[in-house]
Amino acid sequence: MLINRSVFLALVGCFLYTVMFNSVYAQQDEKNTVRFKAYYTKIMDSISYFNVTVFSRIDKENVDVANAELTFYNEVGDEEFELGTAKTNMNGECKFVLDNLNKIKPDSTNTYNINIKFKGNDAFKRASKSLSFKDATILAKLITKDSINYISGTLKDTSTDSVLSDRLLNVQVQRLFRNLRIGEEFNTTDEDGTIIVPVEEGIPGVDGILTFEVVLQDSEDYGTVRALVKAPIGTPIKDESTFDERTMWSPRNKTPLFLLIFPNLLILGIWGIIVYLIINLFKISKSKIQ
Amino acid sequence: MEVSKKLVNDLAPQKFGKKGVIWTTSLIIISIAGIIAYIDQVRKGQIVTNMNDYALWGIYISNFVFFVATSFVGAVTVAILRLTKNSWRTPIVRIAEIISVAAIIMAGITIMIDMGRPDRLLNLFIHARMQSPITWDVIIIPTSIAVCLLLLYFPLLPDFAILKNYFSETKPKLSKWYGKLSMNWTGSEKQKSIQLKSIHIVALLTIPVGFMLQTVDAWLFSTLFRVGWDSTNLGAYFISGAAVAGIGALVAVIYIVRRANHLEEYITEFHFDKLGKFLVLVCLIYLYFNINEYVIPEFTSKKEELTHLNHLYSGQFAPLFWFVNIGGLIIPIIVLLFKKGRKPLTMFFIALLVVVGSWWKRFLIVTPTLLLPFLPVQGVPESWHHYFPSFHEWIITLATLAMALLIITVLVRYLPVIPIQRTADEQELLKKEEKSNQ
Repeated sequence: MLINRSVFLALVGCFLYTVMFNSVYAQQDEKNTVRFKAYYTKIMDSISYFNVTVFSRIDKENVDVANAELTFYNEVGDEEFELGTAKTNMNGECKFVLDNLNKIKPDSTNTYNINIKFKGNDAFKRASKSLSFKDATILAKLITKDSINYISGTLKDTSTDSVLSDRLLNVQVQRLFRNLRIGEEFNTTDEDGTIIVPVEEGIPGVDGILTFEVVLQDSEDYGTVRALVKAPIGTPIKDESTFDERTMWSPRNKTPLFLLIFPNLLILGIWGIIVYLIINLFKISKSKIQ
Repeated sequence: MEVSKKLVNDLAPQKFGKKGVIWTTSLIIISIAGIIAYIDQVRKGQIVTNMNDYALWGIYISNFVFFVATSFVGAVTVAILRLTKNSWRTPIVRIAEIISVAAIIMAGITIMIDMGRPDRLLNLFIHARMQSPITWDVIIIPTSIAVCLLLLYFPLLPDFAILKNYFSETKPKLSKWYGKLSMNWTGSEKQKSIQLKSIHIVALLTIPVGFMLQTVDAWLFSTLFRVGWDSTNLGAYFISGAAVAGIGALVAVIYIVRRANHLEEYITEFHFDKLGKFLVLVCLIYLYFNINEYVIPEFTSKKEELTHLNHLYSGQFAPLFWFVNIGGLIIPIIVLLFKKGRKPLTMFFIALLVVVGSWWKRFLIVTPTLLLPFLPVQGVPESWHHYFPSFHEWIITLATLAMALLIITVLVRYLPVIPIQRTADEQELLKKEEKSNQ
């Protein structure tokens, strides 16, 4: 009897323990940890921006965190200056644009330190990510030698104004879906911090204008730096669009004229005769007396 | 010219007998069943049909093409016979005109049924593009209806006046209606002159309008760049096919009307013989076009064309294909080539075979092509690989056919199916010729 009672109490105890502590664990499980991926990109003579992707590992899968409000800070020594905020889209991505790099300050080693913070919400824990980079400059230009066009790019550390040798630079032409790489697979800067890549003839471009990019891609020290060069050295694209023309496949306000004139004349002609025949019926009705 | 009492007695519309009443009631019942099914289709949507993303044109469009074909031939045959002044035409032209009117009206209605919601008809006008063959169809069908009605109406004027007098004592109400429809016809020289001129013009107009109607119908398909449709020959192919369907229908209806109204004295074996020769001629022309349509792709052997042809020759559509070609063309040609084959009863059965074959031919034009798109049919329910009409589609289609027959029946009931005045004129001329010969 005593054993039975003990077993019963043990079972009740187990039940209560499970109910109480499960709810505690559940509350703890509700909030997930978020992770960041952040990249810095500088476009020469234009904007700089940070691309940030926020995701969380839930049930062994990476899940994009949408609508996460991120605050961007510039760390200088012990101080932090707020730069602004950005919200992630449905893919967990956001872009924070700096109109001018002068808006942020480097530390004593000429390194820019950016801190990206997420306050957390009902579903996700607070988190932050630091990003450090130095400022680099690419001077890109078009050179023509013996009727051959070349794109040259010189990479420099902006703060020290010293050229950077032995660095990989990509040269590419902007295209609609994906940029077209030109030159060797690996273009390494020489002791002058320069690369030179010949441009093949016959690359098509709107009005013959090609936009070349010289890119330092995902550098640990400098992030991504792009320099753009526009040059009228492409083969002009012949516009074959019939968008503004009167065609069989255009909307009705651009119907070919022959299709407006000829069938309508035909229809009017036929209906004119039909009306004439109906009038004849009335004439028959009126001319009953011989 | 005077019209003999016997002639009017013979040719004036007659009350239906028991068989006529049963026939009409049956048509009304089928029509009502179809209307109920159509209301259900409008309420639930075209989910009640077996059409799908591939077979998006089904039995309704096949039926529409059949009606257009039948209407075309009725009108054009009459026009050609009138313009060529073939004297044997007199007893058959009115029936052909009646068939034309009934078929073209039902063609217009059938296309609305295929649209699903009837209010979508408005979109055809609001969003009309002159580049679209569908817009041409929207224009040509009402035009054709108007021309067919005028082609029927003008020659009826003297007959309405005769019927007005004929029924003035026995059925004054009906007589009043005939009086109104006769447009005060007295047979004055001026009236005759205007009427004859108008008939000539409308007959002339009918031929281009009929050709446009049938060609637009063909271009609805041939402009779509699909295997089996993408042919420069399709307009002519449709016209020759329409001739087979239309004359077949004409022979069948003439036989029934002749028996029901006891018109053996007016529609003789001679007329059937002539129609039989006409039918065999159009069947031979259509056979020639069919050989062109099937043999040339077989020779060029494009992959898609071969797949399409294999579907027809030995695939899921083979029984229908061989029935349509052997039953609907080759057997009629063989039978009609012999004089005995052109006797009324034989002609009636042959005409029925031709009409049924012609109807299924339209199904074979529409469906196999749709089920064989250029890209493989993948990732869809197995049922989408086939198409056979649903119960709703069958009922609605049968109802449209019944409605066409109902229109013909009503017109046969109230109109003289053989032109009275014209027959009287011809008899008078014959008498004069006989006297002068003596």
